[in-house]
Amino acid sequence: MLRLPPKRNQNSSFTRSARRWIKLAAGLFALSQVTGCDVPIDAFEDNRIFAKRLELTDSVELELVRSDVDSILIELFGTPDQPLWPEFLQSNEQTSSLVSIDRLQRAAGAVRSDEEDVHYGLYREHCILCHGIAGNGLGATSRLLNPYPRDFRLGKFKFKSTPIGSRPTRDDLRSLLRHGIAGTSMPSFARLPEDDIEALIDYVIYLTIRGEVERGLLMRATYELDLDAGERLTDSDQPESADVALNQADVKSNTINHHTIELVSAVARKWLMAKAHVLSVPAPPDDLPIYGSEPTTGAARERLAESIAHGRELFQGKVANCASCHGPLGAGDGTVTDYDDWTKDWTTQAGLDPLDKQQLRPMLKLGALKPRHILPRNLQLGVYRGGSRPEDLYTRIALGIDGTPMPAIPMQPTNPLGLTESDVWDLVNFLLSLPEQTDGESNQ
Amino acid sequence: MSELTYSRAVHALAVLLTIAVFPLIWVGGLVTTYDAGMAVPDWPGTYGWNMFAYPASTWLFGPFDLLVEHSHRLLGTLAGFLSIGLVIAAFRCDDRRWFRWWCVGVLLAVIAQGALGGARVVLDQRTFAMIHGCTGPLFFAIATATAVMSSRWWLRSQSMVGATRGVAWLATLLAATSYCQLILGAQLRHVTAAVSHTSFMAFVHTHLTLAGLVTLLTLCLVGLALASRVCEPRIRRPAGLLLLVVVLQIGLGIGTWIVNYALPWSETTSSLAGYTIAAKGFWESLIVTAHMATGSLIISLACVVALRAWHTIPARHVNE
Repeated sequence: MLRLPPKRNQNSSFTRSARRWIKLAAGLFALSQVTGCDVPIDAFEDNRIFAKRLELTDSVELELVRSDVDSILIELFGTPDQPLWPEFLQSNEQTSSLVSIDRLQRAAGAVRSDEEDVHYGLYREHCILCHGIAGNGLGATSRLLNPYPRDFRLGKFKFKSTPIGSRPTRDDLRSLLRHGIAGTSMPSFARLPEDDIEALIDYVIYLTIRGEVERGLLMRATYELDLDAGERLTDSDQPESADVALNQADVKSNTINHHTIELVSAVARKWLMAKAHVLSVPAPPDDLPIYGSEPTTGAARERLAESIAHGRELFQGKVANCASCHGPLGAGDGTVTDYDDWTKDWTTQAGLDPLDKQQLRPMLKLGALKPRHILPRNLQLGVYRGGSRPEDLYTRIALGIDGTPMPAIPMQPTNPLGLTESDVWDLVNFLLSLPEQTDGESNQ
Repeated sequence: MSELTYSRAVHALAVLLTIAVFPLIWVGGLVTTYDAGMAVPDWPGTYGWNMFAYPASTWLFGPFDLLVEHSHRLLGTLAGFLSIGLVIAAFRCDDRRWFRWWCVGVLLAVIAQGALGGARVVLDQRTFAMIHGCTGPLFFAIATATAVMSSRWWLRSQSMVGATRGVAWLATLLAATSYCQLILGAQLRHVTAAVSHTSFMAFVHTHLTLAGLVTLLTLCLVGLALASRVCEPRIRRPAGLLLLVVVLQIGLGIGTWIVNYALPWSETTSSLAGYTIAAKGFWESLIVTAHMATGSLIISLACVVALRAWHTIPARHVNE
C-alpha cells in the first residue's frame, strides 16, 4: 500500500521562517566557537620587536639565541601560570624584599575567587587586556586606546617621585593603581583590597624586571657574543666578582651563567635604589599662599598675584621653556612633532622614520602599534595626569616625566642658571590659576 | 478552520518564564562584568553543597562575586522549573501538537544552556562563557516567542490581516542582525589575552558597523509599520518600543566604551579629561551590563514583531 506523505501545512510561513532562524543561529553558533577561543597562556611572548631593532641596527642574527633567551627566562621567571622569582634574588637579604613569591603567584594564573573573597589571577582580571601577557603594552585592546598602554619592559614609568632614569617606588605604583590616570584608559583600582593592590604591584615589578632582563640578554648577545663563532648566552664562564660567585653557588643550573646573574642583579638593584632617589618636596616659602587656599589678608592676595605673574614669566621664559611645548598660555598648542621613548625605542633608535609606513612595516607586522605623536597637555583644563595636588605639580616640574619630551627643570644649585625652589612654587601657582585665568581672558 | 482553545495556564507560564529570564540575563551579565564566573569552582553543587541547601548567610552576605554567581545559578533553575511546568501545561491544555513539541524544545534549550554554564565552570574555559553568553539571549527570544504564540491574540488572529510582507521581512532581518551584533559584542566582552589587537579592532569596527545597520533597519521597520494601513497596533507598538530601546542601546554602547576605555579624544572638555574610570565601579558595571541586557531585549522585541507580522500576513502574500 502506498503511504502518502503527511499533508503539509499551507500557512507555514512561520515554520519556514523558523527553519531559517535555526539555520542562521547554528551558523552563528559555529562562528562563535571558531573565534575568541581560549588559547592556553602557557608562555610569555618574546620581545621580537626589540630583537628586530638590534638585527636592523647591528646586522646580527638573533634567531640563533632565541631558544637560549627563552630557556633562561623560563628558568628564572617561570611562566604566566607558574611565575618564579630567581632563587639568588630570594636568598639575598635586600632583593628578597622586592617581590613576594606568594603574592606573585596570587596575581598570576587564571581568574577565580573563593568563599573568603580572595581573588586569584589578578593580572588577568584587571590588566592583561591592555598591558598584554608579558606587560608589553600590546594587549587586545591596546590599538584603540589613546595613549597606548604602557610597555613595562623598558623599565620606564611616567608618574613617579624619582628622577628620570630611576625606577618608581612601590608607593608610586600604589598611588597609580589607587587613583588611576584621569582622561586615559588606566582605571582607578581604589575598590580593590590592599592585598590585591600589593599583589598587582609585585606582578608589575616582576614583569618589568623580566622584560628588562630579556632586553639585556638580547643586547649581550648582540654586543658581547660572537654568535657566528658559536658563543651562546648559556655558556658557562667564571664569575668576576665574589658576590656573583656566591650567588652562582645557589644556582644549580647549566643555563644560568654568571653574566646572567650579574644582569638580573643589576636590574633588581635599580629597583632597590629607587627609594634613595625620591624627591622630597620642599614646603613653599612661609609668606607664599598656594593657589586654591583662600588668602586671608590683602598682603597675601598681593603676594599670590605676584607669584602667579612670576610663574607666568618663568613659564614663557627661556630657562623653564614650558611655552615651547605647552604654548604661551598652556593650551597644549606648542610643538607636537615628538614621540615618546616607547615609540622611539623601535623607530628612530632602529633607524626607522616613524612617518614612513614602508620602513615601519616589518615592525608593525610583529605587532608594534602605529606611532602617534606625543601631545603636550592642555594645562588650561586643570587636569594633571600625575596628580592635581600642588606637591604633585611641583614633583612633575622638578622631575619631568620619564619616557616623554617633558624634561626635569634645571634647578639651582646644580645649575646656576636654573630655578630656585621658590620659583617652582611660583610656576605651580601659575599652573593652578590657568583654568580660571584663561576663562577670564577668553571672556575679555 | 476550527477555533483553537486558549490556555491561560500555558500563557501565564510562558510569560512568567520570559519575565524570569530577563533578570537571569542581567545577573549573568554581572557575572561577566565582575569576572565572577569562577567564584564557585564546582558545578552543579556550590562548594560541595547541594545548590539549594547552600547557606543563605554565605550566599547573601558573603562575597559579592559569590552572590552574583550563585544567584545566577538559582535563577537558572527557576527558569528550568518554569519550563518543566510549561511542558506539562502545554501537553495538558494546548491543542496544537507542534506547540507542545516547541515547549519540549524550550525545556531542552534551558537544559542545554545550564549545561553550557556548567561546562564553563567545570572546564574553566572562557570560550564556554562566551557561548553561554550568546545562547542566553537566544533562550530569552525563544521564551518571548513562546509567550507570543501562546497568547489569546495569536490564537484568535489566525485569519486576520495585520501586517505586510515588508514588515515581516524587516523584523526578521532585524532580529538576525541584532543577534549577530550580540555575538560580536560577546567577542568584545569575553575577549581573552590570546586575541591580537588587530582582531579586537576588527571586532570593534564590525560591531560599530552592525550598530549602524541595526539602527537603519529599526528606522525602516518603524517607518514601514507606521506607514502601512494594514499594520496592527500589536505590531506597531512593539516596533515603536524597539526604536526607543535601540536609541537607549546606542547611548549605552557609547557609555560602555567610555567606562571601559575612556574616549580617545578626552581632552575636548575638562570633565572628560578629568574622568577616571573606576575598575568594577557601580555605575561602570551597571552601564556595561545594561548594554548587554538591552541587546537581548532588542532581539526579543524584533522577534515579537516578526512573529506577529508573519502570523498576520495574508497567505496569498506569502505564496506570491
